[in-house]
Amino acid sequence: MGGRGGAATQPGIRVGPTSEFSLFFRVKAGQAQPLRAALLALQDTPGYRPGDYGMAIQTIHEARFVLFDDDTRLAFITSFDGPWDAYMEDFFTSGPTLALFDVIFGHVEGYDGLPDVAAVRAFVLGAEQTAAAYARNYGGTVKEIRTAQRVNAAFQQVLDHPEAAEALQHPALQPLLDEAAV
Amino acid sequence: MEGGMENASLELDDIQAGALFERPSPYVGTYLLLRIADRADGRELVRRLHRLAIPASGAGSADDTSITVAFTYRGLEALGVPQTSLDSFAPEFKQGMAARAEILGDTGESGPDHWEKPLGTAEVHVAVAVLSSDEATLQAVAERARDAHAELPGVDLIWRQDCYQLATGRTSFGFKDGIGQPAVEGSGRPPSNPRERPLRAGEIILGYPDETGELPPMPTPPELGRNGTYVVFRKLHTKVAAYRSYLRDRATTRAERDLLAAKMVGRWQSGAPLAVSPDADDPELGSDPRRNNDFLYADDPSGFKCPVGAHARRANPRDALDGEGSVDVRLHRMVRRGTSYGPMLPDGVTEDDGVDRGIIFVFAGAHLKRQFEFVKTQWLNDGIFIGAPLESDPLVGPHHDSTRFTIARRPIRRRLQDLPPFVITRGGEYCFAPGLSALRWLADLDT
Repeated sequence: MGGRGGAATQPGIRVGPTSEFSLFFRVKAGQAQPLRAALLALQDTPGYRPGDYGMAIQTIHEARFVLFDDDTRLAFITSFDGPWDAYMEDFFTSGPTLALFDVIFGHVEGYDGLPDVAAVRAFVLGAEQTAAAYARNYGGTVKEIRTAQRVNAAFQQVLDHPEAAEALQHPALQPLLDEAAV
Repeated sequence: MEGGMENASLELDDIQAGALFERPSPYVGTYLLLRIADRADGRELVRRLHRLAIPASGAGSADDTSITVAFTYRGLEALGVPQTSLDSFAPEFKQGMAARAEILGDTGESGPDHWEKPLGTAEVHVAVAVLSSDEATLQAVAERARDAHAELPGVDLIWRQDCYQLATGRTSFGFKDGIGQPAVEGSGRPPSNPRERPLRAGEIILGYPDETGELPPMPTPPELGRNGTYVVFRKLHTKVAAYRSYLRDRATTRAERDLLAAKMVGRWQSGAPLAVSPDADDPELGSDPRRNNDFLYADDPSGFKCPVGAHARRANPRDALDGEGSVDVRLHRMVRRGTSYGPMLPDGVTEDDGVDRGIIFVFAGAHLKRQFEFVKTQWLNDGIFIGAPLESDPLVGPHHDSTRFTIARRPIRRRLQDLPPFVITRGGEYCFAPGLSALRWLADLDT
């Protein structure tokens, strides 16, 4: 379903349910240091703190900001469940996310700031570059992976039970028993 | 927020009633498609239809008749709308529904190659919907609409589809439909869901601020775009016998079958929402307009009452996605007008009688892409947003691949496998329903 069928109208390459999304900006002259400081501050906000695993946008797998070319360029690179262009309007009306990005984008060229949502949209879409190659090493949406982690944690808990081996003898549990040895 | 000011200025005298308001049930109706072969005759047709079209300010009584007039891109072209103006319409409208078929999931049996002619062809120019409270009135008004194109050799009637809505509001699958309509600011109608703030008018009608606080992209000149709305109509054949057989084969009792059916829809047949009445139908609730849309989903994130993949919850997730940070449900609302066509399959019959029956789905809204196409592609045809990419809408999803449907249940979820398609697209069009003064503008073109 979906997938590459609509590639002509859906920028960003998809692998399974997930699309890549990359933005490239030019840093304003003299703004490299304040931008680094803003990104450092971002890294310390809930969701971006290492180990938080709880970004405001719950459908992105990961996100990174990269300064390059002697801090004259900024890249924002992420992976998103669904075709991201379908959700662009939603991002641009989502207060918390926009406010977060507003602080970053203020240091790059071409950004006129909130609250002109149409201008922000044009600015972001203008910065998007579709990947030339994109691969993923696991399938599944963020939601599915969170579920899988929860189920695995529960399974490990079952295995830690002293009578787990006996409990797993029922034929209906054979697939679980097959996963129980390691 | 300047909402109050905008409220006061929604120009109900200039907005076609059908764009904003549903007709009181029951009703009978006819959809007519016309082709404009001669530009002057086409404009004369528009002039006559303009006299028959009804403003939103004049709608409301059960005995009146409504005529709604809309045009395809080809239709506006045939009327001689200047190219700069044609270019200003939404890209999806310019392409037309048939060109969007692959994106919309209208492939295979639902693909444009199989559509009923002339749907999806360049022949379709004007769409007219005539709805009336009874057959006699409908005939009288349909006669007037026919007169509008009679004696105009340059206008051909190329398609006609009769439709109806039963007093119960039930469609061929047996469910009361069309309950969850959004209220629109300035329309003068109170919301049926007291928990949903009325939509900014620009979500439905062009020329007013929408939920983003901006004016939606509007065709130019404003004389043409203002007070208009985009209209989608789709003829959807329902495979009622296949649907009943599928349920019958997976349920041992009538109660279990009714429950499975309700889980797929998100409502019981009466219209009673599972979110309010999860265990049994409640016909009194279903028919009570003050209560049957008064609910949210946030108290049921896993879908024990109403499955997260149920049709009604997909089509309008209400507050279910509010914590995701990636989606604003208010940007994906729409005015829906569902009517039935073809005779109902008699109760209890599970053999296909070969009769064409189904739903004429009609959408009205200011944004084809982020309203109709978004809901169709992201919420009905796909399951990524609920973390189930292999599942599509159990009732209306295309079900090209092996589709399944998960029903949260303690202690163990129930999963229906191998759902066949129950709905086949017979065709449809993207249209633009102009305001009344814009109809006059079109009639008076002198290009």
